[in-house]
Amino acid sequence: MPNIVCCFKWVVDEAYIKPSSSGKIDLEWAEYKLSDYDRNAIEEAVRLQEIYGGGVTAVTVASSDATKGIKDALSRGPEKAYFINDDQFENLEPSQTSAILAQVIADQIDYDVIICGEGSSDMYSQQVGPRLAEKLGIPCIAFVNQLSIEDKQIIAERKTDEGMEVISAPMPVLVTVLPDINNPRVPGLKDTLAASKKPVINIELEDLASEYKRLLIDKGLKAASIERNCTHFGAGPEDIKAFVEAIRKTGVIDRG
Amino acid sequence: MSGVWIYADKYEQVFELLTAGRGLADSLGTKLTALVSGDNDTAQDLIARGADEVLLFPPLAEDQPVQDYVPLMADEAREADPDIFLIAASLKGKEMGARIAARLDTALCSECITMNIDDKGKLQMERLMYGGSAIQTVSINSRPQMATIPPRAYEPAQVIDSRQGSVRTLKKPEPSGMKVIDRKGKAQSSGDISAARVIVCAGRGLEKQEDLDLVRELAGVLGAEVACTRPISEEKHWMTEESCIGLSAKEVKPALYLGIGVSGQIQHLVGIREAGIICAVNSDENAPIFESADYGITGDLYKIVPALIEEFKK
Repeated sequence: MPNIVCCFKWVVDEAYIKPSSSGKIDLEWAEYKLSDYDRNAIEEAVRLQEIYGGGVTAVTVASSDATKGIKDALSRGPEKAYFINDDQFENLEPSQTSAILAQVIADQIDYDVIICGEGSSDMYSQQVGPRLAEKLGIPCIAFVNQLSIEDKQIIAERKTDEGMEVISAPMPVLVTVLPDINNPRVPGLKDTLAASKKPVINIELEDLASEYKRLLIDKGLKAASIERNCTHFGAGPEDIKAFVEAIRKTGVIDRG
Repeated sequence: MSGVWIYADKYEQVFELLTAGRGLADSLGTKLTALVSGDNDTAQDLIARGADEVLLFPPLAEDQPVQDYVPLMADEAREADPDIFLIAASLKGKEMGARIAARLDTALCSECITMNIDDKGKLQMERLMYGGSAIQTVSINSRPQMATIPPRAYEPAQVIDSRQGSVRTLKKPEPSGMKVIDRKGKAQSSGDISAARVIVCAGRGLEKQEDLDLVRELAGVLGAEVACTRPISEEKHWMTEESCIGLSAKEVKPALYLGIGVSGQIQHLVGIREAGIICAVNSDENAPIFESADYGITGDLYKIVPALIEEFKK
């Protein structure tokens, strides 16, 4: 029966991100959420467990104030969580997150299948899954939208730019999943109550005895200017005419 | 050692990366190396299009995924120690780039939208984050400086006669244990939205699937391709994901984009930020799409779209 590990990230909810007048990004009032794609990763881990048995462990690397995220993740079905946390684990880059995950998973967790979201909904670098596979020296299948286990092999259908590939790989294996792989369940009150009773293994930086160097230098963040000066039209016949005329004047449509 | 390296799993993107890489190599005064799967004719074509050196991968076995090149690419890069390594941000390329970067213990800027060389000869790169609402500027403190480059960010490199370069064939990659047991092409959709000059996009404001006919009729009049937002393809399944615009779907660069019943979630807007003219029809005057549009009509799309069809026909 497979030991399944799912990785997740507690992220700023981008719906709360509003550029300030200076064009800076203000995160002071931002709410946090479980990264959208990781909800699919957790759901897929639990779905596989329901079919093939085994266990599901959720793992995150975060700053110490992400405890709400642990509870959220556990309310979605995993039976225990590893909370690798330190105040220095703020804004980690993919090479650091994957190296930390690799060290803890290799040393402390039995795994046959590791499931990550295709990317995180804040940074969306889409690197942690593939990097983690390399650090653990296991096969990686990215952008998967269908998953099963047959004869100790993982069978994954993954999206490519050309269409689809079905891949078989020996376990242990890492997969990253797309949002259309499943519909994540919405935890109920019972699930939330049960989550608080599940074991959480706390790991801090000093337990890891390793250095995780920053390689990517952040030179600043600004609001993406997709704002344009919208000319508004009403819905009356004259407005329609003026709207069409305005578009015609730009010369982008050949002829009416 | 120095140099700029490029890799793409598809030829169109090899040509685009040759343009990007040639520019960087010239400003650094170094050579451009292209990694590609193919034969000597392929290599000569890439040299004519700007490569100084081509590293050729022998063909893979039928059941070998292209990702089996990863260990070889990382070994070659470790040996040659280039300054910069660019990889096309196809789905395969994004995975391969991250894995190569992990093997080389270096950083990678994912889906880099602009690149500049600063006065110290280092790459300054920009990328989008927070669902497209913010732009982050990064540089990389390790070697090689890696980035994945979205499709169509650069013009394809053209052939220049009389260019000279060297070709080296690499060894066959070892099988990784991963096997491709089936491949399927895409379901045929009506057209390619990523190359379209005019796009009419259907959003959640449409009440039922039949109403897409109205959008299609408008597209027909404008000679446009029909695209959709994520809820239309992912939740309602009225259109295929091939037609979906947005983050983790397609980014488009039409001269004209016309959103019908599109509210303008940031994840959708990031996919149209490069559009020439953005127009929107929506019943909610506070819909976020109006902030990102050039021309907007507030009103009932079921009355406005037929009127637009009539007016555009004139």
